[in-house]
Amino acid sequence: MKKFLATAAAFTMLLAAGCSNQSSGETGKSGENGDWKPTQPIEITAPAGPGGGWDTTARMVSQVFEQEKMIEKRLPVVNKAGGGGAIGWAYIAGKKESEHHMFVASPPLVLVPLNGQSEYGYEDFTPLANVIADYGAFVVKADAKWNNLNDLFEDMKKDPTSVSVIGTSSPGSMDHMQFVKIAKAAGVDVTKIKYISDPDAGGLTAVLNGSVDVYTTGVAETIEQVKAGKIKVLGITSEERLEGEVLSDFQTAKEQGIDETFVNWRGFFGPPGMDPAAVKYYEEKFKELSDSPAWDEIRKKYGWGELYMDSKEYSEFLKKEAEDMEALLKELGLAR
Amino acid sequence: MDAFNGLMSGFQVAFSLQGILFVFIGVFVGTFIGMMPGLGPISAIAIMIPITYSMDPTVALVMMAGVYYGAIFGGSSSSILLNAPGVAGTVATAFDGYPMAQQGKAGKALAIAAIASFTGGTVSVILLMLFTPILSAVAVSFGPAEYFALMFLGLTAISSLSDGSTIKAFISATLGFMVVTIGIDSQTGTSRFTFGNPNLLEGIDFLVIALGLFALAEVSTLVLNRKDTTMNDNKDLGSLRISKEDFKEMSGPMTRQSFLGFLIGVLPGAGATIASFIAYITEKKLAKKPEEFGKGSIKGLAAPETANNAATGGAFVPLLSLGIPGSGTTAVLLGAFLVLGVQPGPLLIQDRPEVFWGIIASMYVGNIFLLILNLPLIPYIAKVLRIPRPLLISLVIIFSLIGVYAISFNTFDLYMLVVFGIIGFLMRMFSFPAAPFILAFILGGMMEQAFRQTLTISNGSLAIFLDKPIALTLIVVSLLTILVPLYTGRRKLKVNNEDHTGKTL
Repeated sequence: MKKFLATAAAFTMLLAAGCSNQSSGETGKSGENGDWKPTQPIEITAPAGPGGGWDTTARMVSQVFEQEKMIEKRLPVVNKAGGGGAIGWAYIAGKKESEHHMFVASPPLVLVPLNGQSEYGYEDFTPLANVIADYGAFVVKADAKWNNLNDLFEDMKKDPTSVSVIGTSSPGSMDHMQFVKIAKAAGVDVTKIKYISDPDAGGLTAVLNGSVDVYTTGVAETIEQVKAGKIKVLGITSEERLEGEVLSDFQTAKEQGIDETFVNWRGFFGPPGMDPAAVKYYEEKFKELSDSPAWDEIRKKYGWGELYMDSKEYSEFLKKEAEDMEALLKELGLAR
Repeated sequence: MDAFNGLMSGFQVAFSLQGILFVFIGVFVGTFIGMMPGLGPISAIAIMIPITYSMDPTVALVMMAGVYYGAIFGGSSSSILLNAPGVAGTVATAFDGYPMAQQGKAGKALAIAAIASFTGGTVSVILLMLFTPILSAVAVSFGPAEYFALMFLGLTAISSLSDGSTIKAFISATLGFMVVTIGIDSQTGTSRFTFGNPNLLEGIDFLVIALGLFALAEVSTLVLNRKDTTMNDNKDLGSLRISKEDFKEMSGPMTRQSFLGFLIGVLPGAGATIASFIAYITEKKLAKKPEEFGKGSIKGLAAPETANNAATGGAFVPLLSLGIPGSGTTAVLLGAFLVLGVQPGPLLIQDRPEVFWGIIASMYVGNIFLLILNLPLIPYIAKVLRIPRPLLISLVIIFSLIGVYAISFNTFDLYMLVVFGIIGFLMRMFSFPAAPFILAFILGGMMEQAFRQTLTISNGSLAIFLDKPIALTLIVVSLLTILVPLYTGRRKLKVNNEDHTGKTL
């Protein structure tokens, strides 16, 4: 009997925990004249664990909105980690038509569904606004024989398998695709590129000790090592040169004659079917945030670039991104 | 001399009133969170980050570092008392710590763990202070091939973790290998064995396995054996006293593992877990009475406890000197640095000497605090065992559920926990050891990845392992640890047989 009770107790606890997850989340009604204002706290989901890029962006946005009193309600950040974002996206998809939920997203929202790892993609959600941008950087050891992207791609055109490339994300995800996109524009046979994934962020180590030749990563991650003279940046994926100490020395792929860019955009999305009045409200608030000195300071602190897009621009941008990526993934045989 | 001045300025930070206060808060919060099964250093640091936003960066980082090593220090309690390792680094602590507690020597086990932790922690700070600039070269010397070899060495522990049938130990390890393949394969992006369930895409978390196989399985056995009163009697805390003989026994493992643990900690990616496992096997190999291991051996407890704390100090080498986070925990810690506007990396010592030396100096202070904090608390911590059995069982279940739920706030993980609880229970019923399972689970994932990374680099040629001296040495050592016992075992068998035939003649 005791044993039965213990088991029953365990199950009751499981059930209780299960239920608590599903409550909350009503919709606020928009006013008669189309104006909308939040009527309860706005929950921002970071579809990853604490500490990463999504989480940091969400927390910083929440902080500025609250501290600068741009939005009168609280904006708690909730982490829904798992499945490279898929768990968090499924959670928001379940909040259909809620005006008080949003989540932070970046290229994986386009790439992960194309890889067949999420049933929800960007087109299932309501784009609110893009806020910041980061760019890719291709890095080699300071004493490597290549001095710019053309040197590297020249060798790779002869024999793509002679060069190994490492990144944090898995094949078909961001670090891989930013390299593939630029390499393809330079004329490298991208189906033969040797890409190694190191989810524990050992890419930099592998390049420093010479195990791997090229490290594909974000621009901000390279600054400190470049300053110390341990690595050199062959090229970055932005349209124009970036501003800032060290940053302004990095050559873009474009100025090296490779006509291609890759933007690691980061913005916010609402659940499916969000009221257009609420979308308008958030669009304006994000614009205000993007233009504020408080946000400028945070951008500088984390090395993020400014890239505001309103909901409409964002949708069009995403559509083009998705087409480009799908074509590339198909060529690599990674699209599902 | 520069380093000396630096250290002195560091001590100025550490001994300022503010410094002392925040080191204390850090280690206190860290130990406390670390004691909860299921909450480890990652959660401890993540919880503390928002608190530091408006603080002076040096003081804030001194506190965060305290939270980190405090959590590792405190993590041993739940392993020893409840057989519920909250972090991977304390799994090996449970191997001998829990049997000791069961034998009524809980107080002593906790005291040994505290002293071993203190020793490991302190030695590693000294090494950190002396050798950081030199060791940063060691930290990057390990590529995928070397990591594969290191994991391989760790895996040789499987045979020494079996107290009964070696075959059962290998079956258990094979299960661990199988379970770790669940999820997205990092090298191809393909999902493996997920059955279309998005909850399985990132694989099964370590904590689900550890708490299922150890804590829940233990609880089920306790429920099943509730009529067995013999176990009720020796729920004494036992004396805290560590006799001279005990101390003598500890001193060997503590000295060796302080250095070895620190060195392994320096390697990004290896860290406390592998350090503790390797400490456990090396001490078992060196021990005069290896048969005591797993049954409450003092050496078997002191070795992993020293090593995991020493590795924590080691992990600061790549973090501070290169800006490379070696583990999930140090990655979150790196995030904390960045939030405070401090960029760890090769230039940290020059640009922000007060931060660099402040952290190191505060670690001396922090380790002493931890010892002072923990030793007198042991009787109270160990009182956990005095809690009536039915209550204790429910508490362990609740803590396991909370710990697992806190990983991702996903109820799916709770069902997985129950599944692994059942698997663990069945394994126990049929006397399959759980340790090889978890060892294979922890090392197997990293090992497979390192192996495939290596082969991608070498275009599929295995010769790459022969070209790399460190990798080759480690593989040869691993092979020797497997083959030598086989050979000597056979010779013993032969001698016995000859004796036998001699007698019959």
